[in-house]
Amino acid sequence: MSYLETNAKYVPSGPRKLLYLNWPVIVLLCAVAGFGFLMLYSVAGGESARWMMPQIKRFGVGLVAMIVVAMVPIWFWRNMALLGYAGSLALLVAVDLVGEVGMGAQRWIDLGPLRLQPSELMKVALVMLLAAYYDWLPLRKTSHPFWVLLPVGLIVAPTMLTLAQPDLGTALLLLIGGATVMFAAGVHWGYFLTVIAAGVGTVYAVFASRGTSWQLLKDYQYRRIDTFIDPSNDPLGAGYHITQAKIALGSGGWTGRGFMQGTQSRLNFLPEKHTDFIFTTLAEEFGFVGASTLLGLYALICLFCLVSAIGNRDRFAALVTLGIAMTFFLFFAVNMSMVMGLAPVVGVPLPMVSYGGSAMLVLLLAFGIVQSAHVHKPR
Amino acid sequence: MIRRPLRPLARILKARERGENPDAIERENLRLRHEEARDRSRSRAEGRLLVLGAAFALVFGTVGLRMAAMAGAPAEEPRATAGGNPIIAQRADITDRKGRVLATNLDTYALYAQPPQMVDPVRSARELAAIFPELDEEELLEDFTGPRKFLWIRKQISPEQRQAVHDIGDPGLLFGPREMRIYPNGPVAAHILGGASYGREGVSSAEVIGVAGVERRFDAYLRDPANEGAPLQLSLDLSVQAAVEEVLAGGMNLLNARGAAAVLMEADSGEIVAMASLPDFDPNNRPRPLTQGSPADSPLFNRMVQGVYELGSVFKIFTVAQGLEMGLVKPSTMIDTKGPMTWGRFRIRDFHDYGPELSVTDVIVESSNIGTSRIALMFGAEKQREFLDKLGMLEPTEVEMVEAPTGKPLLPAQWSEISTMTISYGHGLSVSPLHLAAGYATLANGGLKVTPTLLHDAARGPGERVVSEETAAASRAMLRAVVSRGTASLGDVEGYEVGGKTGTADKPRENGGGYYDDKVIATFAGMFPALDPKYVFVVTFDEPVETTGSIPRRTAGWTAVPVAAEMIRRTAPLLGLRPQVEGAPEQGISLAAN
Repeated sequence: MSYLETNAKYVPSGPRKLLYLNWPVIVLLCAVAGFGFLMLYSVAGGESARWMMPQIKRFGVGLVAMIVVAMVPIWFWRNMALLGYAGSLALLVAVDLVGEVGMGAQRWIDLGPLRLQPSELMKVALVMLLAAYYDWLPLRKTSHPFWVLLPVGLIVAPTMLTLAQPDLGTALLLLIGGATVMFAAGVHWGYFLTVIAAGVGTVYAVFASRGTSWQLLKDYQYRRIDTFIDPSNDPLGAGYHITQAKIALGSGGWTGRGFMQGTQSRLNFLPEKHTDFIFTTLAEEFGFVGASTLLGLYALICLFCLVSAIGNRDRFAALVTLGIAMTFFLFFAVNMSMVMGLAPVVGVPLPMVSYGGSAMLVLLLAFGIVQSAHVHKPR
Repeated sequence: MIRRPLRPLARILKARERGENPDAIERENLRLRHEEARDRSRSRAEGRLLVLGAAFALVFGTVGLRMAAMAGAPAEEPRATAGGNPIIAQRADITDRKGRVLATNLDTYALYAQPPQMVDPVRSARELAAIFPELDEEELLEDFTGPRKFLWIRKQISPEQRQAVHDIGDPGLLFGPREMRIYPNGPVAAHILGGASYGREGVSSAEVIGVAGVERRFDAYLRDPANEGAPLQLSLDLSVQAAVEEVLAGGMNLLNARGAAAVLMEADSGEIVAMASLPDFDPNNRPRPLTQGSPADSPLFNRMVQGVYELGSVFKIFTVAQGLEMGLVKPSTMIDTKGPMTWGRFRIRDFHDYGPELSVTDVIVESSNIGTSRIALMFGAEKQREFLDKLGMLEPTEVEMVEAPTGKPLLPAQWSEISTMTISYGHGLSVSPLHLAAGYATLANGGLKVTPTLLHDAARGPGERVVSEETAAASRAMLRAVVSRGTASLGDVEGYEVGGKTGTADKPRENGGGYYDDKVIATFAGMFPALDPKYVFVVTFDEPVETTGSIPRRTAGWTAVPVAAEMIRRTAPLLGLRPQVEGAPEQGISLAAN
């Protein structure tokens, strides 16, 4: 028995629900996607059929799906959380067995018309399950060691499976996204500090052991880590993306070269120019102004979600909104840091802008749940 | 914290009195308790949310600032080398002393294939095999259809070949610009220049690195972009070098020699005007080093710089010069030359018996081993070693070639008295012919030490004094006498007074134990013009035989000397020396006067 079901004073019903959608978020999402359409048109060299039209179609489908999801009461989604998690986990396992190898990693599963990346699905399912878990768990047990270890297990299982594909970026997103929900649910500070301290300690030990008799990793593994952390060591290999992205960002300057005037992406200097590295095209063509506008749009989306979460007295609704906002935020934070050389290249797309169906569709469905939480919040 | 009691007795009793359901009170209290707990968790959750919000803001701020920093940074333009270490292209030219090109670059192309992008591998393989006959069509096809993503087809192709490949029109066949080192004069000065080859190689460029000679010695300079393509100027004179090589090659042919070497050097500065070693090679197509046998048999071996030999009687002048310098003898001092001279279990003989006594001058002119041995015994081992060291005979030459340090003189294990005696006539100490030239230059320039150099106008001061002007002049007079009336009479060149000394040294057997009877190193070292020498020269042959006479003749007087004379005849005018002879009567002018 959720608080919400017993205490909702007024919940809109029928078509009236449309009025109670979080419209600013929808408008912002459309704006961000619009940026994406422009960029895809530009990197295809002024050809709309190549990347832009499929993307628009997918966005349209996703938008409709989002609203449909938003119409379904939030408690239905809460009840579905465990099922969704179990299903996603099963798919993740299945992908190891029957998955297709794309770009050197096994990530995809073919479901007839839809090629699915279960790790994407898992991002949302994990956040939902954790939110449902903390909604179910009596408050006083939140920081009890057993009741902390359980969600940790829920996070670690899919993270490991994703890491095995290997998809470092998604694994990172799962880990931080899950941890955020636990943090927001009120798990004691100490746990987080312990985990962070342990992580830092491990990293320190690994590096401190280098060159000593108790060296923890092999030499070539250290070299890989070196390149991973500072790709400029290997400018023609791993560092290539970043070097080119930096050139593109630098040559964009404050106002950019103008729409369709980018050279880096047009001249094929950049690989993955329409997917993970699409931000470089934007930065080159629209400069700092364009890039910071996009950044602002993302910030507003996160802000609206945060406000919606604070204003929602239902625990599941608040946590799931926050968790999804965090996942979304992590997407672009990691992507932008990666493109700008602040973080290693881990292969995370720019949400709603990068070309690709799986990620965008799942994100829009996730925002559908955010909308549902907003519509069905106790008023 | 005081928990609200769920069923406060007082209120329940009051409610009962009023006839109300006391359970309502419990429900009410339960609700309040729930709400309190919820409010506590809410305020806690809001604190957490604020932390998350702050984290959001921090990341947004960082990304934004980074973006601004990058936007504000000066634009980096796209580069073909993709930000890697650019491979430095455009190696500097090498020229002779007059600016004539000895080594330069040619822009050419390398051909490579990216099979995944090939449209028609079958046709491409067929047409490539037609353009490059040395390529095999089937192997190409195998490479093109196999799993390879990249392969070099040819490292250097001509413009015609490039056009032909271009006409195939396959997008998987690509060209990479290449800089090619070429030596327009072919084998001329091959050993000095050495050669170049490719170092690190990329698709868009390749590094040219020197592998030997001055190319390697000055590799850093030649590649340094800071020199802005200023050529490296050598002291060589291309036309003199070519003439020397031509004469030397002709001589080597006539004398059936295994090898030959010659150097022509400025007596004052030590600048090498020409230096040759035969057999030679074409640095445009540098042969591989020998994998077996002696490296000295390879055409790559520089006999002038790397080879160290017991050069024989050419050393006698140093012994006499030391005797003069130390005041032990004068040119006219009579030396006991009665032979054979026995010293312990050794016997020293002369080529001919020169009678009981010879003047010091005649010891040189007749080349008496016994005479120089007696002079050497006057000053002894220690002084001899000191003197030769001052002449630079005991250390490798400092000439600017990577090979120079390998030309390390071979000293006797024990510099005993018998060593002193044999060294006095050039046995028991092996030096390179270039060492010898430097020693003769000291006598030629009036007694100052000379360090051979390949650089033109190298700013270096005069060397330290080894012998006095008088000693040097007396030595020169003796060397002149060797040519005018001694063993090197075939070396006289009309108009250019030549002075020099011959040396015919038996070759030591390779596997140790004595010397060959019929294999010699024949050397002629000298200078011209003899009274005020501008140039010194050394000509040496490995196993020469002169066969025009009734018996085979191997001595330097019959082999190295006539070749050296021809060399001087050819090069002296090129060097700008006027012949010192009376001109023929100017008949044309007198006729006109009539």
